[in-house]
Amino acid sequence: MRKAFDTLGHYLDVTGQEIKMAFMTMIEYPSNIAGWFISNPLQFIMGFAIIKFVVESFGEINGWNYGQLAFLYGLSVISHALSMIFFVQGWFMGWYVIEGDFDRYLTRPLGVMYQFFFTNINIFGLTDLVPGIMVFIYGCMKSGIQVSVMFVFQVIIMLIGATLIRGGIYILLGSTSFHTRSAVDFGQYTQEIMDKTTMYPLSMYPESLQFILTYLIPIGWVSYYPVSSLLGIENGLSGGMTTALITLAVGLLLMCLAGAYFRSGLKKYESAGN
Amino acid sequence: MIDVNKLCKDYIIKRKGAGLSGALKGLVSRNTDTIHAVKDLSFHIDEGEIVGFIGPNGAGKSTTIKMMSGILTPTSGSVLIDGEDITKHRKEVVRNIGVVFGQRTQLNWDLRLGETFELLKHIYRIPQNDFDNTLNVMDDILGIKELIDKPVRQMSLGQRVKGDLVASMLHSPKVLFLDEPTIGLDVSAKYSLRKFIKEINEVRKTTIVLTTHDLGDIRELCERLIIINHGTMIEDGNLKEITDRIAPYKTLVAEFYDEKAPTHDRCELISREGNVARYRFNKSDITAADIISDLSSIKPLKDVSIEEAGIDDIIKIAYGR
Amino acid sequence: MKKYLYILKTQIIKSMTYEFNVYGNIIMQTIIMITSAYFWRALYTGRSVVDGVDVGSMQTYIIISSALSVLLITNVERRIGSSVEKGSVATDMMKPISLFGMFLAEDIGNIIALIFQNMIPILIIGTLMIKPPLMADVRDLPLFIISVIESFLINWLIAALFGMMAFTAINNNALIQVKKHLIRLLSGSIIPIWFFPDSISGVLTALPFVYIYQLPLSIYIGRGERADILMQMGIQFIWLIVLSALFFFAESRITRKVMVQGG
Repeated sequence: MRKAFDTLGHYLDVTGQEIKMAFMTMIEYPSNIAGWFISNPLQFIMGFAIIKFVVESFGEINGWNYGQLAFLYGLSVISHALSMIFFVQGWFMGWYVIEGDFDRYLTRPLGVMYQFFFTNINIFGLTDLVPGIMVFIYGCMKSGIQVSVMFVFQVIIMLIGATLIRGGIYILLGSTSFHTRSAVDFGQYTQEIMDKTTMYPLSMYPESLQFILTYLIPIGWVSYYPVSSLLGIENGLSGGMTTALITLAVGLLLMCLAGAYFRSGLKKYESAGN
Repeated sequence: MIDVNKLCKDYIIKRKGAGLSGALKGLVSRNTDTIHAVKDLSFHIDEGEIVGFIGPNGAGKSTTIKMMSGILTPTSGSVLIDGEDITKHRKEVVRNIGVVFGQRTQLNWDLRLGETFELLKHIYRIPQNDFDNTLNVMDDILGIKELIDKPVRQMSLGQRVKGDLVASMLHSPKVLFLDEPTIGLDVSAKYSLRKFIKEINEVRKTTIVLTTHDLGDIRELCERLIIINHGTMIEDGNLKEITDRIAPYKTLVAEFYDEKAPTHDRCELISREGNVARYRFNKSDITAADIISDLSSIKPLKDVSIEEAGIDDIIKIAYGR
Repeated sequence: MKKYLYILKTQIIKSMTYEFNVYGNIIMQTIIMITSAYFWRALYTGRSVVDGVDVGSMQTYIIISSALSVLLITNVERRIGSSVEKGSVATDMMKPISLFGMFLAEDIGNIIALIFQNMIPILIIGTLMIKPPLMADVRDLPLFIISVIESFLINWLIAALFGMMAFTAINNNALIQVKKHLIRLLSGSIIPIWFFPDSISGVLTALPFVYIYQLPLSIYIGRGERADILMQMGIQFIWLIVLSALFFFAESRITRKVMVQGG
C-alpha cells in the first residue's frame, strides 16, 4: 500500500514537470497559440450553429429539442476536449512507431503508455474545452437543469468515464500500427464518426447500430446514455448515480482492454533503422 | 554485469513485387519472409569493461544492442543485466542502464538543455546532491554547463551528443549503451567524446557497450571487440588476440635502387610500385630480420619498414568470411 | 510533362503499398456513410420533402459525397509545411522541376490509387447497403464531370494557398486545421447549406467552399433549375480563376523570397 502511494506520488511529480515543460514549449511558439485559439473554437461554434439550423429545418430530432441537443453537444465536446488533452497522441501513434520514438520510453523506468501520452500532453486541447463548457452551460439553462452538488458530481464521473472511452478507442486504433507497421492516421475519420454518434441522440439510428454502439464499441456511453439519464429521457436507464458509475466502469474496462492490446503490440515493436 | 544467453531475433517481412502490378498484388497476397537478424548469440560482459560491437551494416549490431537495452523483445533467449532479466523486469532494470543512440536524441528539441535534465531528475528520482555532483563531474570532462541554457534546436550535432551523453549519465547507470555515438562528429568532438567515455569508465567503473564503424573509436576505446556478421558472432577478444588469430601476418616494405624487386620463397610479394615492393609474411614462419638479410644478399636495399595488420585489415577479413 | 507523369506513377505505387490503410479507410468511410444515411432517414421521418429534396435524393447525396471526398484529399499543404520546417525548401526549389507541379502530380497519383482502393468499393458498398446512387438526369453528366474537375482544382488551390502560409507563420498545422473545418462544415459535404438560414446560405454562396462539394452534388441529385445550376457553375469558374491568380501571385512572391533569403 505504502509502495503504491509512493509510486503514485512519483508519477504525479513527473506529470507536474511534463505539464510545466508543455507550457514552456507552447510559449516558445506564440504563432501556434493564435492558430489553435482560432481553429478549435471555430470548429465547435460552427458545429453548434449547424445543429441549430438542422433543428430549424426539421423541428425536433427524434423527440430531442434544441436545449437538450445543446446539452448533449456540450457534454460531448467537453469529453472530446479532455481526450484531446490526454490521448490525442493515439491518433498519431503510427508515426511514433515508424520513427522509433518508443526507444526513449522503453529505456526509462516508467510505464511506456504513461510516458507516451504525458510527455506529449497537448495543452492546446484547452482551446476545445472552453467552447465545450460554454455550450454545456447554455444547454443546462435551456433545458431547465437544477444544478446541485449531486448533479456536478455525476457530471464529473461521467466525463471521466467518457474521456476514458474516447482515449481507449484512440489507443486501440493507434496500437494497430505495431502490428501493421504503417503510419495510418484515422484521426479525422474517428472524429467524424464520434461527432455523428455523440452529438446527436443514438435513438435515431436503427436498433442494430444502437446495439453495436452500446455493447461492442461503447460510444453510446460517451454522451447519449449519460445525458439521457441526466435529463430524464426515457430509455430504460435509471437516473441518479447508476448511469454515471456504469459510464465510468465502461471507460475503465475499455482502457484495460486498450492497455493490454498496446502491450501486446509493444512486444512486436521493431524500432527504426536497420 | 551483462549476460546474453542464446539470443535470437526474427523479423517477418512482407514480400512485395516490383512496380504497379506488384503493388496491386500486395493488396491481396500474404507472402512473408522471415529474416533471422540475430542468431543464437551468447556472451558475458564483466563490470567495468568497454566492449565494442563491430560488424558491417545489417549485421545485427543495432538489433543486439537494442535487445540488450530493453527496446526490442527477443524472439528467444535472454539478456540479464546485473542478474535481472530485462524483458521481464524492464522498469527495474533500466534504472541501471543509460542509452545514447547517435542518430537520435532524447533531449527536448524545443526547450533549453537544462529542462530535459530537470525532467530526468524527476523521472529517476535523483537527489539534488547527486544531481549537482554528477553535473559538476560532467562539466569538468565535457564543459556541459555552458550549454545548459541553450535551446537544443540551436545546438550543433557535437553539442547535442554531449547533451545526450550527460542526460544518459545523470542517474549514474552501471551500464552505458552507445549506438554509433561518434557518427557524423568532427575530430575535436570525437576526441572529447572518447575522453569522456574513458573517464567515466575509469572513475565510475561504468560498463560500456558501444557499436561503431569508426576505427579510431575501436583503437582508442575498446579493450574487447565482439565482431558479428549475419547475426552470429565471428570473433570475441581483445584487438591483439583477434589480430593474431585472423591476421597473423606483417608486411615488410622494402625500397630498392631499381624496379626489379626479387621474390622470396617464404613470403609473398604482394605489390610492386616503382622501386618499392611489399612482402607479406606470417609471423610464425619467419622473422623480418631474416627476410631483410635474405633480400639484401640478393640486391642492395635502400630502406625498409614493417607494417602490422591494421584494424581495417582485420575488419575486412572478418567481414569477408 | 514526362517527369510529372513519372512522379504520378511512383505515387500511385507508394499509395498502394500499405494494404492495412486501404482496408482501414474503407471500413471507416463505410461506417461514416452508413451512419449519415441513417441520420438523414431519421430526420426525414414523417416528412417527404424538405427544402426541395426528398430522403432518397439525400441518401444519394451522402453516397456520392463520400465517394467525392476521395478526390478531395490533398497533401500539398503538409508537404510545403514540412519542407519549410526542415529548411529544405530552397534546395527543393533549385530542382529542375516545379515544386508545386511535383506536389500536384503526387496528389493526383495518390487520388488515382484511391479511386480504385476507396471510391469504387464505397460506391459498391453504398449501393448494396443503402441504395443505388443513380443520377437524377443522365443528360447532366457532362456538367457534373466539369464541376467535379473544377471542384478538385479549387480544393487543391485552397490547400496550396493555406500551405504557403507556412512561409509567414512558422508552423502551419493550426492553419491546416482551420481550412479543414471550413471545408468540412461550410462546403455542404456533411450537411447541405440549403438547410441553413437564408442569410447565412447567401453569404456562403459567395464563398468558394460550396463549389467544392455542394454544387457537383446538387447537379447529381438534380436539385435546382438548370439556369440556376449554370449560374452557379459560372461562379465556380470565377472562383477557379481568382484562386489560380492568387496562387500564381503567391508562388512568384515566395520563389523570389526564398531565392533572396535562401529559405
